[in-house]
Amino acid sequence: MGPTNGHNGIASKTNGYSKPHVNGSSKSPVLNGVDGLKLKKRDTSIRQVALPGSTLYDDSHVDREEYIRLVIQSLRDVGYIESAATLEAESGYTMETPEVSEFRRCILEADWSNAHAALVRLGATEEDELWDAKFLISQQKYLELLEAGRTTTALQVLRRELARLSTDPDQLHALSSLIMCSNPEDLRQRANWDGASGNSRRQLLLSLQTESMNAFPQVTTAILEVHTDEVWNIAWSHSGNYLASVGRDKTAIIWRVEYDKDPSTRELSPQIILREHMFSVGCVAWSLDDSILLTASENIIKLWNSKTGVCKETLTQHTDVVAALTWLPDNSGFISGGLDRKIIFWDSNGRSVHTWTPCPVRVTDLAVMPDMTRLIVVGMYETSPTVPVGTTTPPEGGPPANAKPSSENRAIVYDLATKEPEMFIPLEGELSSVKVSGDSKYALINRAPASDSEPPSEIHLWDLETERLVKKYVGHKQSRHVIRSCFGGVDGAFIASGSEDGIIYVWHRDSGTLLEALTGHGAGSVNSVAWNPRNERMFASCSDDKTIRIWEAPPSTAAHPNSRIAEYALPELENGKGKGRERWDGYRAGSGSDVGASSIAL
Amino acid sequence: MGMSYRRYLNGARIYGCSNCKTHLAAIHTMISRAFNGQHGRAYLFEVVVNVIEGEPVDRVMTTGNHTVRDIYCCKCGETLGWKYIKAYEATQKYKEGKYILERNLLVDVQ
Repeated sequence: MGPTNGHNGIASKTNGYSKPHVNGSSKSPVLNGVDGLKLKKRDTSIRQVALPGSTLYDDSHVDREEYIRLVIQSLRDVGYIESAATLEAESGYTMETPEVSEFRRCILEADWSNAHAALVRLGATEEDELWDAKFLISQQKYLELLEAGRTTTALQVLRRELARLSTDPDQLHALSSLIMCSNPEDLRQRANWDGASGNSRRQLLLSLQTESMNAFPQVTTAILEVHTDEVWNIAWSHSGNYLASVGRDKTAIIWRVEYDKDPSTRELSPQIILREHMFSVGCVAWSLDDSILLTASENIIKLWNSKTGVCKETLTQHTDVVAALTWLPDNSGFISGGLDRKIIFWDSNGRSVHTWTPCPVRVTDLAVMPDMTRLIVVGMYETSPTVPVGTTTPPEGGPPANAKPSSENRAIVYDLATKEPEMFIPLEGELSSVKVSGDSKYALINRAPASDSEPPSEIHLWDLETERLVKKYVGHKQSRHVIRSCFGGVDGAFIASGSEDGIIYVWHRDSGTLLEALTGHGAGSVNSVAWNPRNERMFASCSDDKTIRIWEAPPSTAAHPNSRIAEYALPELENGKGKGRERWDGYRAGSGSDVGASSIAL
Repeated sequence: MGMSYRRYLNGARIYGCSNCKTHLAAIHTMISRAFNGQHGRAYLFEVVVNVIEGEPVDRVMTTGNHTVRDIYCCKCGETLGWKYIKAYEATQKYKEGKYILERNLLVDVQ
């Protein structure tokens, strides 16, 4: 390849950016000056700089990590990829996983032979999605070959890759007609593409990103209405085919949801309604093989046969509200945690194996790492009641004048083998939910303000290896209610949460960007959200409005790559040629170029 | 609306519902022991938690006319006392916004 930098063939280049970006930035003169060492090697050759303290300067209040991460992000946004990587290496504040970096490198350096493999390593498991993405990559490769005058190789790509990946003859026709272009300039004009040395690879990355966004579940495809009161918690079976819901109406309902069927034809019905609890039900969990459903109401845990709805055991060892239930990843049984400060290990038949007591906190939620190394417990300390400001001093025997709230709630990480606490996470406010990531590295904790003077509700992502807060997600509302959140999507790339304003909030995990605020539920809180374990494009939410909603990606036509961009950035297609054309025109997003849709000659 | 846990108090002495032990009040927010309820001796508290308030009603007491709301345990529904909303006598105004818990309906909890 070897495009030269600083030279851009077309005048209208660089789609609306103020400075021209160039592709293959790792081949910049600077890098060539150090004998073209590859990105990866450079990473290891740069020593991480250890600095004292956590502020930017000795006398400043600026958090160094936060500041540096912003700088890295800005550098990357404007295209200074190498500088960003160097700063990442020196500071140790890594923004991307190695898989993402590798994929980005493949695209920007035109390392096409490794790009497809890197794409697979990103964890895209849906065939359709992969094929669309592979098509876009091969298309870029094809255009670059044509531009470089390597027509024979380009033709091979057209026949062996593009023809196989595309289902649209018009699209292929448009691509093959580009072979007739007389020179690179003509090609770039007709394809409305700014060439290997322009901004096109960056555009490709953007398109691939947009595509994954469109697969995002954002449409309600079903509303489950059987509960007669607020629905407080939900859990998917491990098979992904059943959803269990519990709530204020004292029932638990097992719904069959055929996650892999089309929404219009799938079976979706309440299978069993479990009615034996005497009080509201707040906890629910499935056994690994889905044969047992656990529910808890007040201090009572029940084990149900999930097929027959028969209650197998009623467990009464807890002396106060059971707030958390979780099955152990090794299938040896389950753990319960309660406001009575007890954490109890049970075998799969409901015999208590070990009681871990007393826990320093009243347990409001707990989670076990998939690798069985650690248990994370969140909970509350007691509050010392305080007298509202401005009340008259009672004549005698009044409260101590400085009765401050001591509501320092805590999250505790235990070593599961030794049962010793490993780490205390200092958190202000009420903690109502903890989840762990599939790779056992991160914990997601909801914190709500315990009083008006505290910062507003936040969800914290903690890196448990470095024991650091890596991201905060804000925007949702949580004050007094138990609101639960979850990881979702491929490799847990999204964070979703319920909220007291009835909206479901979804963030991008790594950037913290709010992606969606989904409306639809009625008045009251959305209490919990749960991602389907088998279908990354489906999750469920439950609300005070007595319903459960199933959310999925829009139907395939609407989920077309670039369709979002097409909606607001593109003029109407002159002669609507269908999908293939739209895909093409997507390249024009934000370009400001006046080359019409007919620029691709048929 | 929504799910919430009952609150838990700390302090030298915690009073709970005699029926279900739900935390209600801490001794350091007690204003007076010198009150009478329907079941004998009653305490006046600055702060009471985990109770549901009933409809406001006017009630004539030994110290004059008051608007009060009965208070119920949020877990078991037991009637525990009342909350003063309004005192019509100027000398009784200090009770507004405060709570009465009947001693016989309370237990010490930890």
